[in-house]
Amino acid sequence: MTPAAVALDGVSVTYGGTAALRDVTLQIGVGERVAVLGPSGAGKTTLLGLLTGTVRPDRGTVSVLGRPLAPGGAQLRQLRTRIGVTAARSDLVGPLRVVHNVDAGQLARWSLPRAAWSLLRPRGSAQARAALEQVGLADRIYERCDALSSGQQQRVALARLLVQDPELLLADEPVSGLDPALAVHVLGLLADLPGSARTLVATLHDPDLAVRFCDRLLGLRAGQLVLDTPAAALPAGALQELYGIPA
Amino acid sequence: MSTLLAEGLLTQQAVDRPPGRSGPAGRAPRRVLGVLLVAGVLWSLHGAGVGSRPVVNPGGWPQVRAFLAAALHPETDGAFLRLVADAAVVTAEYALLGTALALVLGMCGAFAVSRTFWRGAAGRRGGRGWTAARTALALPRGVHEAVWALVLVNVLGLNPLVAVLAIALPYGAITAKVCADLLDEAPRGAYDALLAAGAGRGQALAYGLLPLAGQDLLGYAFYRLECSVRSAVVLGIVGAGGLGFQLDLSFSALRYGEMWTVIDALMLLCAATDLAGSALRRRAAAPHARSRRDRHGALLPTRDRVVPAALAVALLLTTWSWVHLGVQLSTLWSGRAAVQGRLLATAAWPARHDPAFARELWRLSLLTFQMSLLAFVLSTAAGVAVAVVAARPSAERPGAVRLAAHLLARGLLLLCRAVPPPVWALVVLFVLYPGPLPGALALAAYNVGVLGRLMAEGQDSLAPGPLRALRAQGAPRLQAWLYAVLPRALPKDLAFGLYRWEVAARESVLVGLVGAGGLGQLLARQTAAFDWPGVLSTVLALVALTLVVDLISTAARRVVR
Repeated sequence: MTPAAVALDGVSVTYGGTAALRDVTLQIGVGERVAVLGPSGAGKTTLLGLLTGTVRPDRGTVSVLGRPLAPGGAQLRQLRTRIGVTAARSDLVGPLRVVHNVDAGQLARWSLPRAAWSLLRPRGSAQARAALEQVGLADRIYERCDALSSGQQQRVALARLLVQDPELLLADEPVSGLDPALAVHVLGLLADLPGSARTLVATLHDPDLAVRFCDRLLGLRAGQLVLDTPAAALPAGALQELYGIPA
Repeated sequence: MSTLLAEGLLTQQAVDRPPGRSGPAGRAPRRVLGVLLVAGVLWSLHGAGVGSRPVVNPGGWPQVRAFLAAALHPETDGAFLRLVADAAVVTAEYALLGTALALVLGMCGAFAVSRTFWRGAAGRRGGRGWTAARTALALPRGVHEAVWALVLVNVLGLNPLVAVLAIALPYGAITAKVCADLLDEAPRGAYDALLAAGAGRGQALAYGLLPLAGQDLLGYAFYRLECSVRSAVVLGIVGAGGLGFQLDLSFSALRYGEMWTVIDALMLLCAATDLAGSALRRRAAAPHARSRRDRHGALLPTRDRVVPAALAVALLLTTWSWVHLGVQLSTLWSGRAAVQGRLLATAAWPARHDPAFARELWRLSLLTFQMSLLAFVLSTAAGVAVAVVAARPSAERPGAVRLAAHLLARGLLLLCRAVPPPVWALVVLFVLYPGPLPGALALAAYNVGVLGRLMAEGQDSLAPGPLRALRAQGAPRLQAWLYAVLPRALPKDLAFGLYRWEVAARESVLVGLVGAGGLGQLLARQTAAFDWPGVLSTVLALVALTLVVDLISTAARRVVR
């Protein structure tokens, strides 16, 4: 059996006495596309933080891509090169050109001189240009990132993920603040990034989008995993219950 | 805003605005700037005699070694320590009084030179009145504190008021300009509404704009105080007493141990002002909300008491300084001052302008320009390099080595800016023959202390998101820094450097006074010979030089942004 992409075993996280996650146990298989749903403050972002190693569990164990997340060191860095992270705030480098922002996705594989050299070439690397073509921004490669619209910046962040070529994709509310058409476009790109062995875990606020683009839905409420179902078999009324909307 | 604002107001807009440049062609002006810069540096090095005559005097190394070695053995004799403590008090008093007066002058001036004030009267730019008011500020701003002191001492005699005015006049003019920019940049809705409601322009400024710009003004006031401490030290060297005077005495006697005691006191004074200033700025930016509720449970308006208390203490100390130094304002309108002033004016006018002198003035102006250009390039490059280490470590739990390097770099920067440029010049003159090169090195050594700190704080204030994002995908530390930090910090760093170039041009006179060449050296000769027409010409040349550098640096900042 291939190891799971993500495995949490009895994980609890507390922030200053407040429990953010309580005794969460779950496995996500390689290649699955999983949406994490739940009201604000339910622990969705904490869950993703656990998977990138920025949040430490108080109890329980977390393993990602078959390895336990050890704090710090070369091993964590090595693991991180295989994890792609994206969020609504795309955290691009504003004054840098679009193509160089995309190149930043390969920094883990590049030596310092190679990285500096690429920064000096206005056209960036061939991989970055190819990725920008894939997200439909081939004509903007020379522009400064902060001159782009937020939707375009979102796509630059996607192109950066493409060149990083991660096995596990973590997206924290990747479409909040985007208009519906753009949200569909961005999620489509995320869900269909080339490569069959790629696992996607995305926190979403829109259940319709979750059902449309993911195979499996997880529901968090007050730090507890209360829903885990294939998207195709979502029980009626489960979402109302999750969000506490009176029927 | 942080300290950055202080130097940076002018650069702030430059940096924050995202330009819509596209295509490789967008870099053309920067390339031109780069080529001009390289050409300028080569020309300046040639002018400094690099490659054509010996510049290094190897015989001076033992002196430098002795000077540096003494850093570990400062003079700790009780009597000398008391002397230094008294001197430190005097320097702090001059700085306080100078700043207070500069702020009063600056605030009054700010209204007169703010675009907002004049806009009510004339078109968009502010019209002729605004232009005239702005131009009138250039003269007091262009003349260095030390030059003001040299002139004022001849009018008012040996008097503490000389040092206070020497600080307050140029700083008042700078404050007026900066405060006017602050007022012009504050959101204008309330001001317009008050005008529309029939308020006078002065009233509308006081009620509609001043409260909005207040916090930045407070930050700026403390930044000015930091600058005033450094100025007060310099004035000490030219005779006003205090730490600068002690430093000069010890240097003349080649008592390096004593010098380091004074330098340590200077560093303490600078660090104390820096820390107090930044703590208060942070405090004012995020007031400590100790919420209390009234009987009905409604939140009472909370007022932070620390900031007003600090201001009250500053006011008290200023008053005490006034009494302790024995400043006599009446000297200003005494008959003697009027007579001396008239004598000086008639002696100096008309300014010296014979062709031979004009040629010499031109040659020395070029030399001084070269000196300031070299100082700018050296200090900016060194500042960028040191700021990498001096910036706060980005890791959550930085290693001990990184932390030690950070503290060491900050300490080094403090030392660089605590030692005034003339003293750096004297040290450099041990190993370099007199000329523009030692002057440039001395100015650079001092400026790197100011710049490195600004640049480090600039890096500290960058949003952490992009760096975190790259680290999260496994990018090694240096590569991530290269992509996520440097591109965002560099435009700001260059803008700071260019801004300090103007300051270096003003300060070139200082290093000249101790023999490092240029217009300052000429000025020292002329004052010693009471050649007042010559002094007037030289001072005018210095003002013109500062203006030219200001223009170039403003144009370059526009390209860099």
